[in-house]
Amino acid sequence: MVKMRWKWRFVNVLMKRMMSIVIDLLLGATVVALIERVIVPSLMDVKPWAFGPMSIGIIISGAILWALIGVLRGASLGRLYTGLDVPEGQARTIVTHLGWIALTACIIGGWIITDISPIEFLSGEGLQGAGRIFGALLTPEFDVIGEALAAMVVTIFTAFMATVVAVPLSFLLSFPAARNVMATSPLGKTIYMGLRIILNIMRSMEPIIWAIIFSVWVGIGPFAGMLALVIHTVASLTKQYSEQIEDVNAGPIEAISATGANRIQVLWFAIVPQCVIPFLSFTIYRWDINVRMATIIGFVGGGGIGTLLTQYQGLARYHEVGTLVILITAVVWILDVVSARVREALR
Amino acid sequence: MPLLSVRNLTHTYPNGFQALKGISFDVEAGEFLVVIGLSGSGKSTLLRCLNRLIEPTGGTITFDGKDVTHIANDPLRKHRGQIGMIFQHFNLIPRHSVLNNVLYGALGSTGTLTAMLGRFSEELRTRALEALRVVGIAEKSGVRADALSGGQQQRVAIARALMQQPRMLLADEPVASLDPSTSHSVMTYLERINKDMGTTVICNLHFLSLVRQYATRVIALKDGQLVFNGSPHDITEEWFTTIYGEDAVEVEIR
Ligand SMILES: Nc1ncnc2c1ncn2[C@@H]1O[C@H](COP(=O)(O)OP(=O)(O)O)[C@@H](O)[C@H]1O
Ligand SMILES: [Mg+2]
Repeated sequence: MVKMRWKWRFVNVLMKRMMSIVIDLLLGATVVALIERVIVPSLMDVKPWAFGPMSIGIIISGAILWALIGVLRGASLGRLYTGLDVPEGQARTIVTHLGWIALTACIIGGWIITDISPIEFLSGEGLQGAGRIFGALLTPEFDVIGEALAAMVVTIFTAFMATVVAVPLSFLLSFPAARNVMATSPLGKTIYMGLRIILNIMRSMEPIIWAIIFSVWVGIGPFAGMLALVIHTVASLTKQYSEQIEDVNAGPIEAISATGANRIQVLWFAIVPQCVIPFLSFTIYRWDINVRMATIIGFVGGGGIGTLLTQYQGLARYHEVGTLVILITAVVWILDVVSARVREALR
Repeated sequence: MPLLSVRNLTHTYPNGFQALKGISFDVEAGEFLVVIGLSGSGKSTLLRCLNRLIEPTGGTITFDGKDVTHIANDPLRKHRGQIGMIFQHFNLIPRHSVLNNVLYGALGSTGTLTAMLGRFSEELRTRALEALRVVGIAEKSGVRADALSGGQQQRVAIARALMQQPRMLLADEPVASLDPSTSHSVMTYLERINKDMGTTVICNLHFLSLVRQYATRVIALKDGQLVFNGSPHDITEEWFTTIYGEDAVEVEIR
């Protein structure tokens, strides 16, 4: 027993060591690459030179040097991140310096990469353009309001239906995705882990990407938008629901189990009652988020107000765009207030 | 033959901590057995082994002539169904009515779907009200369980256990979160169930004054081992110091 635990701790520390070295290598490479590819060329006011063996050599040796400090002195950001010990004194000072160097390189490099240009922002020509578009947006063309409202209804119901379809799926998935429900057997743990990974991948893919996929699959329109939202909503709600399940008070679970109830009865009578209110709250908030997302998804063929907006923007009819922007803002704002109120009342 | 027979019972938690280190004792039907011991001595672990909320890692538990040490699934649920349990924190289902909470005591013997749809039979409802009457709280049957006081909630929990028509009742520090007068009321109900219905009771308690008043027999745990097994009146000063250590006097004053 004791031996096993010692072994486990050893493996754990080894994993952390390796992870911290990988982190330091990546961080070092990033910092050196920023300096070599972005900052130095910009300071010399030349185009970055061709990316060749020379650059690769510089970046790799920089990364190794950066990581070597960690290995030799125990002073590295990777060790700090993985929770490994960083010795007091000089090592701490070195870590602080490394942190500042990394941050500074990222800010300067980032400034150059994103083409931040106060001159363009404030130039006469630039300001004129801004004036034109704001002028148009502020003198909306209300002829399109009928069309806009119809599209808005489509968007709201796309979001609503996506939520309605996603809720039962999320509800069913949230139990196998909850650690306390599944931790009772090795098979349960495996299912739990697998499901968590799939859900994380699903959630990491933005709905806009799903919308692109589904607009090819089922054609451009609200149905594609709805499907995209369903995927994202299932992934998000399942996570929120299952975290709530993991958070329930264990007392009632014990009490219901002790009566001789079966597993389904324990879920239904001890866990679900503790979750209903938070589940409702999450669901309403998710619908609110879905309306915003449905708007964005419309830009890539998800139908509704977003699609209409891209059409008018493509035609450069900014007065009409102005109307749509005002409508979207108003609806999002109202939904935000309403959903916050409802969630407040549910507590 | 004793109703319950425990032999060399050990339990080691997954983290390697051994909470029970080989415990043996018998319980005859109709006894009111009180388990005492410092916090952390293994009382709750012992009780949870008896109705198999947890599976012992060693030894045997025989209940009503059957070895229940490692049973699972249907036999396990049937075993649990025969044993009622009440807890320090009552563990009622909040937001649900008092009557429903009592009905949940019958989950072991109702169809899953029937129960989920709330379709408890008239007979069960009558029995639930009867159980509430036993603990003198029938008039609250329609109230939300979390709207009741601590003492009332514990009485509802007793009614839920009675709903199982249990052979044995386990009580894990049932009065530890109640004030003294409420404590006596709850203990009196347990005593009545023991005396009138003949239900065997095993009860973890902290305060010795209660032990002397209600127990027919006492066992004491210390660091997962059984250090006393006898009549409550045989717990001498010396035993007391062995069980509770130097704080013994303080505990008795309360
Ligand atoms: N789930 C658990 N995992 C690990 N150790 C536990 C667990 N539950 C209880 N213990 C430990 O087992 C010992 C006995 O606990 P318990 O049976 O609750 O004692 P008591 O009810 O007498 O206070 C304590 O030291 C406690 O910390
Ligand atoms: Mg305890």
